[in-house]
Amino acid sequence: MCPECHSVEHEVVELAGTGTVYSYAILHHPQHPAFSYPVVAVLVDLDEGIRVVSNLVGVEPPEVRIGAPVRVMFQATADGLTVPVFEPAGPT
Amino acid sequence: MSVSLGGSAAIVGIGQTEFSKAAGRSETQLAGEAIVAALSDAGLTTDDVDGFVSYTIDPVEETELVRALGTPEVRWSSRVPYGGGGSQGVLLHAAAAVAGGAARVVVAYRAIKARSGSRFGRAQVSPRPTSAHSGSTASQWCSPFGVLTPASWMALNATRYMHTYGVTSADFGRAVVQLRDYAATNPNAHFYGTRITLDDHQSSRWIAEPAIRLFDCCQETDGAVALVVTTADRARDTPAPVIVAAAATAGLFEEEIASNHYRPNLEVMEGSVALAAQLFGSGIARSDIDVAMIYDAFSPILLMQLEALGFCGFGEAKDFIADGNLAPGGGLPCNTNGGLIGEGYIHGLNLTVEAVRQLRGVAVNQLDDPSTALVTASRTGVILQRPL
Ligand SMILES: [Zn+2]
Repeated sequence: MCPECHSVEHEVVELAGTGTVYSYAILHHPQHPAFSYPVVAVLVDLDEGIRVVSNLVGVEPPEVRIGAPVRVMFQATADGLTVPVFEPAGPT
Repeated sequence: MSVSLGGSAAIVGIGQTEFSKAAGRSETQLAGEAIVAALSDAGLTTDDVDGFVSYTIDPVEETELVRALGTPEVRWSSRVPYGGGGSQGVLLHAAAAVAGGAARVVVAYRAIKARSGSRFGRAQVSPRPTSAHSGSTASQWCSPFGVLTPASWMALNATRYMHTYGVTSADFGRAVVQLRDYAATNPNAHFYGTRITLDDHQSSRWIAEPAIRLFDCCQETDGAVALVVTTADRARDTPAPVIVAAAATAGLFEEEIASNHYRPNLEVMEGSVALAAQLFGSGIARSDIDVAMIYDAFSPILLMQLEALGFCGFGEAKDFIADGNLAPGGGLPCNTNGGLIGEGYIHGLNLTVEAVRQLRGVAVNQLDDPSTALVTASRTGVILQRPL
């Protein structure tokens, strides 16, 4: 239910897949066998105004920066599914 | 709306089990032992109890408790969501129940096997014990990305806090050194007898870089605590009552436990801002607080709550702590049992027990004659006072 208008309608909208790193954490412990460590967890503020929890890939942990522009990519995960993760988008 | 209970309720008994890494018995037994101890402390019996309150996440069934304790009639019971951030809400529920006449004597309890049982800090992708009805539904959006533990949830907020205000891991470390100093002289604490230096903190391994090292984390603990609440009138007949001067909960829109990352400004604990507006809108000022117990599941939220509660400006908690304000004789002696980081993690309710001890004058790290204590856990809190 929409908390603004209490509508129960919804639709699927395609997003640009671009945004900036709002925050991050480089996860070392504890470790779960499904992931390779360190895991770079990020909060990404998408350009459309939505924040998502995800991973940053293609970057060494010391290079993670708040405010960095990122772009979505889709990565295979368990059971033939994919998850949206992010890679550096270069300066905008 | 300010929630002042007008001093109409009181904590009259406190009890606990030992805190350990392996209790070797059920949570129900731990709760029973703590409750019997708390009632004995109050000069009451299980026949006097007619109400129970705990956390939604607590595994102990009220019906099992009644069977174990032999309580003849339960007139009222309740549970509070938000995990540890809701911990002080049990005092609001209990105080409101007795003040309103729904119950006469309420026991607030928390029993936990956070080390030998279900560990919060274990990396797991299956539904967590916190997944139902405890304010952690947003964790489903974290798990696919390896964000599996409270430390990892919290670190995402804490990194933003560090970035916004120029806070460093060493700033968190100075708080931890103080907590460990208190724990070192508390025989009930996991870290009894083991002080650390800032260097020790800075060389402890990363859990979630750059915010949380091993020594920034609370101790997963087995044990139980219980508090007995009744009306201020009935409290006059008990040996060592402490008045519940104010109690409040501020569960804001789009807030849950640390797994929710969707508020605009994660560097501010807005639930604590709203909580302070209630607690300090009731005739008691920040300057009246002689001792504070502030929920320290992870050290960054100790700093963030000090700011959100208004004891210093935003971004200034690091200086407030470096100036020694949390120490005995400081402006706001804090978590004098060593906190959840130093003493153990009975999910925040052991902080309330320590506040009662301080006001009774029987704490191991007893301060000089405190009369007003604040206990907060994120969005829930109480102000306790020694009777006049
Ligand atoms: Zn709407």
